[in-house]
Amino acid sequence: MKVAYKDLLNFLLEKPSLDLVSNKLFQLGHEHEIHNDIFDMELTPNRGDCLSLLGLARELNVFYGMKKYMDIYDGNIDELDIKFENLSPNDCPKISFLEIEIEDEILDYRSYLEEYFLVSGNNKTNFFSDVSNYISYEQGQPTHCFDANKIFGKLVFEKKICNQNFSTLLDSEINLKDENCIFTIGSEIVSLAGVMGGKSTACSRKTRKVLVECAYFNPEAIIGKTVKYNLNSDSAYKFERGVDIESQERVLRRFIKVVQDHAQIKSIKLKIFNEKEYKNILLPINVKEINNILGITINEETYLDYLSKLGFDIKDNIKVPSYRHDIFSQNDLAEEIARVIGYDNIDIKPINLEKAKLDKSEKVEGIKDLLTEKGFSEVINFPFTKANDEDKSIIIDNPLDSNRKNLRTHLKDSLIENLLYNERRQKESIKIYEISDVYHNENKIKQEKRLGIIISGKVDENYIDYSNDLDFEYLNKILNGDGEATPFIIEEISRDSIKTKKKNKIFYTEILIDDIPERFSENVKSDRREVNFIKFKQVPEFPLSKRDFSFSIIDPKKYYEVLAHIENFNNQNLKKHFIFDFYKNEKSGEIKLGVSLVFQSAYKTLSENEIQNTISILLKPITQLDGVSIPGLEFE
Amino acid sequence: MSKIDEIEPPLVLKSKGSLHPINQTKDYILDLLSDIGFNEVHGPEIETEEFNFDMLNIKKSHPARQMHDTFYIGNKNSVLRTHTSPVQIRSMLESKPPIAFTSAGKVFRKDDDSTHLPMFHQVEGIYIDKHVTFSNLKGVINYILHDLFGSSVEIRFRPSYFPFTEPSAEVDILSENGKWLEILGCGIVNPIVLENCNIDSKKFSGLAFGLGIERIAMLKYGVNDIREFYKSNLDFLSQFK
Repeated sequence: MKVAYKDLLNFLLEKPSLDLVSNKLFQLGHEHEIHNDIFDMELTPNRGDCLSLLGLARELNVFYGMKKYMDIYDGNIDELDIKFENLSPNDCPKISFLEIEIEDEILDYRSYLEEYFLVSGNNKTNFFSDVSNYISYEQGQPTHCFDANKIFGKLVFEKKICNQNFSTLLDSEINLKDENCIFTIGSEIVSLAGVMGGKSTACSRKTRKVLVECAYFNPEAIIGKTVKYNLNSDSAYKFERGVDIESQERVLRRFIKVVQDHAQIKSIKLKIFNEKEYKNILLPINVKEINNILGITINEETYLDYLSKLGFDIKDNIKVPSYRHDIFSQNDLAEEIARVIGYDNIDIKPINLEKAKLDKSEKVEGIKDLLTEKGFSEVINFPFTKANDEDKSIIIDNPLDSNRKNLRTHLKDSLIENLLYNERRQKESIKIYEISDVYHNENKIKQEKRLGIIISGKVDENYIDYSNDLDFEYLNKILNGDGEATPFIIEEISRDSIKTKKKNKIFYTEILIDDIPERFSENVKSDRREVNFIKFKQVPEFPLSKRDFSFSIIDPKKYYEVLAHIENFNNQNLKKHFIFDFYKNEKSGEIKLGVSLVFQSAYKTLSENEIQNTISILLKPITQLDGVSIPGLEFE
Repeated sequence: MSKIDEIEPPLVLKSKGSLHPINQTKDYILDLLSDIGFNEVHGPEIETEEFNFDMLNIKKSHPARQMHDTFYIGNKNSVLRTHTSPVQIRSMLESKPPIAFTSAGKVFRKDDDSTHLPMFHQVEGIYIDKHVTFSNLKGVINYILHDLFGSSVEIRFRPSYFPFTEPSAEVDILSENGKWLEILGCGIVNPIVLENCNIDSKKFSGLAFGLGIERIAMLKYGVNDIREFYKSNLDFLSQFK
C-alpha cells in the first residue's frame, strides 16, 4: 500500500519530518520503503486496520496527535427504498447502500483526488469508481459502485455453490466454482462479493446515479478468492484482513462529501442493514500482567494513556475499538505497550538454566567422523521425485510439478544424480553420502532414517591412491571391517541405465540408521565439533582442463627444490595440482614425479594459449634447474 | 648432499571430507543453545494439520494453510511440516514446565524460485517457566546473535505477527554495508498455545524463537545464492572442512 507523507500529515496535529514518521512507523511494526516522499507499506496480515491513511494516522496519534474532525457530509439523508435480501448474514453481518444522483458529468478532479492517482499509480476509470478507490485509500473501507440505472429487480446477497461464468467489470470472464459469496439479481451474478463487481452493472463515465454498496464481509468468506480466480483486488485484500464494521455510515458520509466537492448533488438516500449487533471486546485493566509479560515497570496512568491514544476506550474495562481485529487478550495489550515504548527500549535480561546435555546419536556422529576422515562429503537432497515406488511412495496432493509429485522412499536415486552432476564437472574422485528421513506408505505413513553412500573414480588425488579405483573392497573395508558381520550391503550400480559415457564403476550402499553397528560410536572424536565459518569462494561453472607432466630429476640434490616449487604453485588459472606418481630408480639415480595441473578460470573458458602460458609460468623455472627436465616439453 | 636412497617420498596428502554446511550451522546453533539449557527434541516431517497449524493458533483461514503455500498429503490428511514448531507442541504435551526445548530440521513450503526453496532448515527454541518475560526473550536472542555475529553487532527488534506468539518480533542485525538484515522471528508464546498444550497460562509463560539455518549459513559463509547448498557440487561442499 502506498501512502503519501503529505496526505498523512493532514491527519496529524503535529508536523513531524519524513524521517521521524518513518522511524515511528518502524517502531510500531509497520515496515516500509520510501520513494519520493511516498511510504510503500508492507503491513503484517493482522493489521488490516492500518491499510489506509486513517489507519496509519490512528497509529501515529500516540506520538503526534490526530485531528478529531473529519470533513464529512453531516446533513440529513433520506431513507433508501431498496429491494435487498441478505441470505447469508454470517458472512455479511452489516451492509449499507447509498444512492447518489448528480447533475452532470465530472471532468475535473480536485487536487487531493487528482494526487491520489499519482500516489497509488492507479488509473482513473469513472468518477464514482474513482471516488470509491479514493475512499478506500483514505478510510480503509472498500465500497462498490453499481450504476443504479442498471439495477433491475431485487438485489440478493448469498453464499452458494456456483458453476457459472461471471464477467467482471475489468472485462475478464471467470468461471465461478464451488462456494462463493455473490450478489445476484434474478439468476444473474452481478458481483463477486468483496472481490470484484460485474460488467453488466458497472459504472461508466456516463453514470449519474450510483448505488454504493458498503459492507463488512467476514474474512473467511473472501480469503482465497483472488488466488482461485487470478484476480487482483484491493478490496479483497482489505476484507481478508478485516475492515471496521462500525464505520459504514461515516465512510458513506465521507463519500458524499467527496462527491459534493465535485458535483451538484440531486439526491442522496441511504439504507443500513444491520443483521447482528456488534459487541466490542472488553478486557480488564491489569497493568501488573502487562509488566509481567514484558518485564517492565510501567505505571497504570501511563499504560492507560497509551491505550487511549491508540483508540481504546477506557472506563471500568478496556474497550477494544471495532477496527482492531487482533486484540483479544492481555498479551495483545502488552504488544501495544511494547510497540509504543519501542521493543529496543525494553531491558535485556538473560535466562538462568543449567547447561543441557547434547542429544546426538553417537553411532551417527561416529560414522560421520569416519566418512569425513576418509574424504567423503555430506550432501542434502530434496525429497521430491517422480519415481513411484510400487505405490509405496507418498503422493503429494499439490506438487510443484509432475516431476516432483512423490516423496522418495530411498536415497539411491538422489545420490546417483549427485554423482553424475559431479562427473559432468570432471571430478575424478567422488565419495559422497547422505543421512535423511524417507517415508513409505504402508497402510500408514512409515518414517525411516537412512544412510546412503556412493563412490566412483579414484581413491584420492595423491601418488599412492591415484592409481587405485574406488571399488567394493575400499567401501567394504571402511564399513564392514575385517572378518565381522556385514550389515552394509554394497552393490555395483550398472551404468547401462545411466546417461553417461564414464566407465568407472559405481558402488553404493544404503542402510537404516538403526541397523548401523554400535561399534561406530567408538569413532566419535568429541561430542562437539568445531565449526570453521570460512568465507566460501564462488564455484566457477567454466570447464576444467587437466594436464599431466612427468618430471625427470637426475640430480637428487634438486629433488626437494622441485617439490618446493610444486608446493608453491599459484596462479589464478590454476585450480589445483597434485603429485599422482613418484618413483626413484635406485640403479640409475633418477627420480620421476608425475604432476597433474588442473586449470579453470573463475571468469571465462580458458583458451589453449592461456593454458600453455600458465604452464610456461609454472614449469619453466623448474626445467631451468640443472638435472631436471620434463621429457617432451621444451620452453622457448 | 642428497643421495637417491636418502630421498624421502613426497607427503601423501589425503583429501578430507566435509560435513554439509547447513548441518554444521545447525549443529553449531544447537550446541550454542544447549549451553544455556535447551534440550533438543525430534519429530516427524510429515505432520497433521492439527499439530502444524491448529495447536499453534494458525486459523483455518490463515494464508499459510492455502494449497499454494503448504504441501498436502493423502487428500489433505497430512502436511509436510511448514516449521519445526509442531515438534515443540508434541514435546510440550509430554512434559511439564519448566521446559526448554530446541527442535531443528527440514521444513517445507510450496515455493521454488531463486530466493526460496521448497525445502529448507529451521532451528526453533521454546522456554516455558514461571515469570518468563519479553526481557528474557531479548536476553536469549542477544546471546545467540552476539555469538554468531560478534558482541559488537547492532541488533534491532521490531514488532511483527505470528499467530503462535504475542507479542511477536522480528530481529535484524546491522550489516557491514549499513543495511539491516532480517535474521529471525520470535515472541512470547501465545497463551492460547500454552492452553492447547495443557499448560496453565495463568501460572506459566514462555518465549519462543525460530531461525532459518540457510539464512544464517549464507551470512556466516558469505554464500549469496541459497541454491548452492543443494547442488551437491563437490567444489562447493569441499570448502566447508
